[in-house]
Amino acid sequence: MKKKYTYPFTAIVGQEEMKLALILNIINPAISGVLIRGEKGTAKSTAVRALADILPEIGVIGGIPFNLSPGEDPETVRECFAVTGQAMPAADALPVELRKVKVVELPVGATEDRVVGTLDLEHALKAGEKRIEPGLLSGAHRGILYVDEVNLLDDHVVDVLLDSAAMGVNTIEREGVSFSHPARFTLVGTMNPEEGELRPQLLDRFGLCVHVGGITDPRDRVTVMERRFAFEEDPERFFAEWQEASQQLAERIVRARDLCPSVSISRAHLLGIAKSCLNAGVDGHRGDIIIMKTAKTIAAWDGRDSVGAGDIDRAVAFALPHRVRRQPLQDMVMDVASLPGVRQTAQ
Amino acid sequence: MKRKYFPFSAIVGQEDLKKALLLNAVNPRTGGVLVRGEKGTAKSSAVRALGQLLPERRQRAGQGAAAVVTLPLNATEEMVAGGIDFQETMKEGRRIFQPGLLAKAHEGILYVDEVNLLDDHLVDIVLDAASSGENRVEREGMTLVHPSLFVLAGTMNPEEGELRPQLLDRFGLCVEVHGETDPDLRVELMLRREAFDSDPDAFAGHSSDEERRIAEKIAAARLLLPAVRMPSHLRGFISELCRNSNVAGHRADLVIEQAARASAALRGSREVSVADITGVAPLALVHRRRDPVPPPEERPREPEQGEGQENDNRQQPEDDGRTPGEPKENSGEKSAEGPEGDRPAESDGDRQEPAEPQEPEDRGEGEERSGTDELFGVAPSFRVRSIVTPKDRKMRRGSGKRSRSRVSQKQGRYTKSTMPRGTNDIALDATLRAAAPFQRYRLNPNGMAVVLQNEDIREKIREKRLGNLLIFVVDASGSMGARGRMAASKGAIMSLLLDAYQKRDKLAMVSFRKEGAAVNLPVTSSIELAARLLRDMPVGGRTPFSAGLVKGYEIAMNYLRKEPQGRPLVILVTDGKANRSIGSSRPLDEAFLIARRVAGEERIRYLVVDTEEPGLVNFGLAKKLAGLLDAWYFRIDDLRADTLVSIVKNMTP
Repeated sequence: MKKKYTYPFTAIVGQEEMKLALILNIINPAISGVLIRGEKGTAKSTAVRALADILPEIGVIGGIPFNLSPGEDPETVRECFAVTGQAMPAADALPVELRKVKVVELPVGATEDRVVGTLDLEHALKAGEKRIEPGLLSGAHRGILYVDEVNLLDDHVVDVLLDSAAMGVNTIEREGVSFSHPARFTLVGTMNPEEGELRPQLLDRFGLCVHVGGITDPRDRVTVMERRFAFEEDPERFFAEWQEASQQLAERIVRARDLCPSVSISRAHLLGIAKSCLNAGVDGHRGDIIIMKTAKTIAAWDGRDSVGAGDIDRAVAFALPHRVRRQPLQDMVMDVASLPGVRQTAQ
Repeated sequence: MKRKYFPFSAIVGQEDLKKALLLNAVNPRTGGVLVRGEKGTAKSSAVRALGQLLPERRQRAGQGAAAVVTLPLNATEEMVAGGIDFQETMKEGRRIFQPGLLAKAHEGILYVDEVNLLDDHLVDIVLDAASSGENRVEREGMTLVHPSLFVLAGTMNPEEGELRPQLLDRFGLCVEVHGETDPDLRVELMLRREAFDSDPDAFAGHSSDEERRIAEKIAAARLLLPAVRMPSHLRGFISELCRNSNVAGHRADLVIEQAARASAALRGSREVSVADITGVAPLALVHRRRDPVPPPEERPREPEQGEGQENDNRQQPEDDGRTPGEPKENSGEKSAEGPEGDRPAESDGDRQEPAEPQEPEDRGEGEERSGTDELFGVAPSFRVRSIVTPKDRKMRRGSGKRSRSRVSQKQGRYTKSTMPRGTNDIALDATLRAAAPFQRYRLNPNGMAVVLQNEDIREKIREKRLGNLLIFVVDASGSMGARGRMAASKGAIMSLLLDAYQKRDKLAMVSFRKEGAAVNLPVTSSIELAARLLRDMPVGGRTPFSAGLVKGYEIAMNYLRKEPQGRPLVILVTDGKANRSIGSSRPLDEAFLIARRVAGEERIRYLVVDTEEPGLVNFGLAKKLAGLLDAWYFRIDDLRADTLVSIVKNMTP
């Protein structure tokens, strides 16, 4: 089969905030996801799907669809083999494959069964054995779970996502069968706010939030059209043209990922973060923690090993818009930096 | 699966929460704890951390006994209470019980995140078990009781809807959590979190001494608990405390006693002291206190209030020219006829029998006084009474929390079984019953005790609450502007919107005024958008009621074309004083005619919110329209949840 080419990430015009937010999440999955809000036709989905090409590779246990790390608890590995109807190979014969981190797309109409996985009841009743049909969450482990139009998702599917995102575990439980497998994923959602807001609880699960709008510069708009045209004319050639830029980006991400754990942040800066959150009126402490992690990751992305005030300001703009306290029927404050006492650096 | 949890002793602040959890850990009879408050305040971390500190439990054969059992929101009744173990049942040929979450939580913690979003019947099951210490199973042909003594921990964010008062009362303790406001503490929190995330094992190592100390304290207190004595004079003190707080019922007394005993045991004392009681009482009283006045609204609406005030003032001079108590709407409309001074004289003309109403419009054409648009504020919102559409036999799917319906998804409670419809949601009890008579004649290839064939399969019919489509049809004519009626109407609509938000309804909004009706908001889930539109909705002009009704009907019909099983509810907010028609007939006649016509579509329900102010003379037009539409009829004040009249009594015949 001919390879299907996705539009390269690096060829996306503008939308720097959104691109950076996605990159930061790849570097440091602990930032826990990004929510992209904006109108239709602003390259939201293109950007997320394009991530596949610049994502790093990870080692996974082959033969089962759970993306387990080779270092996973052997008991969990054994169970995962069992429910897919296979015997677990000997510990030293575990097939380990090197795979790119996956972007798993969750369609809006997905049923709970499709997301969580389900028990094959037909098989169970006739043959008397438990058998699991894994859901989307199994494939999203250690990868990216992409939900287009996340605000239109059925409430009970949202609940499942919340539970898994909070616990890092997905549980399939029906008719007396209970099976858990690890499901730690970076949640990436896109939404058009005009079609309804997200519940605060789900909103808070997204580490970062960016707003994308249409590009206003006519020249940039022309570039968008030219590139899109070139891609549709000859995807293979277009892809090749951008190959080098993608390669460089992927390498920079790997460097930043290595650097990230050693980035330091001063106590004064931490105090600044705490005050920003207090002044902005943010619920709980998740905002503080996400800002700290994001600021560190931004520093790592820029190749620095300590956080500066500028990093914090950028992190605040990503981490606070959806966390500023508001009443159920109020609009979201998108421009957090304009709130008094939030910025670290002078305007 | 093993996971590292943040240590209990390393949690910064949240002293009330930690205290409530410890009291429950020592004495599960305290009745659990409900944690209300903001997101991201270490609620679930604290609960899971406590799980690590509970004494080792006797492991039941074949059961991994996790200390903290999480009840997911998508749980079904059989998952929670237990059901048939189909695998064993098929092998053995008799019913084998499969323990549910309540059994797994025995001697541990049952954790329900967002308990206010859980289906009511599940909350009931959980609370029944929590208070009795055992789980009674009476389903799918099984009757049994097993012990289920656990610490119940529920969390909720009140913005997402309140818990019913009955359920609220059944949680022993309640804690309100907030984020720390001291920046230094917040820094400490970030540092600990980061240290934990980068190396959980090392972090756990640092706090292991402290963790062990707390675990030992809990274990010792548990042993001591049966010996802890409550001096009888302190019982009087407890009941005094409860009486002073206007607490309903006796549960608070019992909870305080149990919690105080746990508190004494934690101190290592065999006797409850006054300090034990005063220490735990606030946690037991906060959610049971019945205030003589309703709790203050949290929503900041000072600017809106100001606006409303302003409007009232503006109307003051007009009111002077009017007979008090007279329905002011008409004076507004009539003023088109002549100079202001004519008004008192003409008001006599208004006093007609509602039975033969005359369109004020008939008496004069021309520019209306209220042709200039006005903007009114929004009166404070309130909790609205329960508004649900009646149950029918249709299958639906979706989510939400408003009206009960049969659902074609694996959620909700199992009410009965049926022939298979391909939902793969097999009702094992019914399937076994169907297979039973033929067992003797069937070949048995697998060595199973029961042989099933395709024709035996039965599926479950389930029932749960779903959201509705609410179509607001709002009268924005000049008549609504008088004497703050629009502010009150907006307040009522806002209250309905908040209710719709909590019940996850879809909505649409139509307003009618001047020449016709406009769809302000097509069908959407964005309550925010609706609220903004409502705040900015101007008032002025005539009342083209028929146009509004038709528009609302059109939206409902379009929706039904897409979702034939849908249950749209059209909410008309109006005084019913139609004075502009679509065609050539008299506006009111036309309105009545159209109302009769649209009432023929039975899938659409109507609700009329009458905004006419009760006075000396009432036209009762909205009520008459409600009758023709076979609609529920409420005055604005009747919408409040706290009026005791049942919705049934308000249904017009």
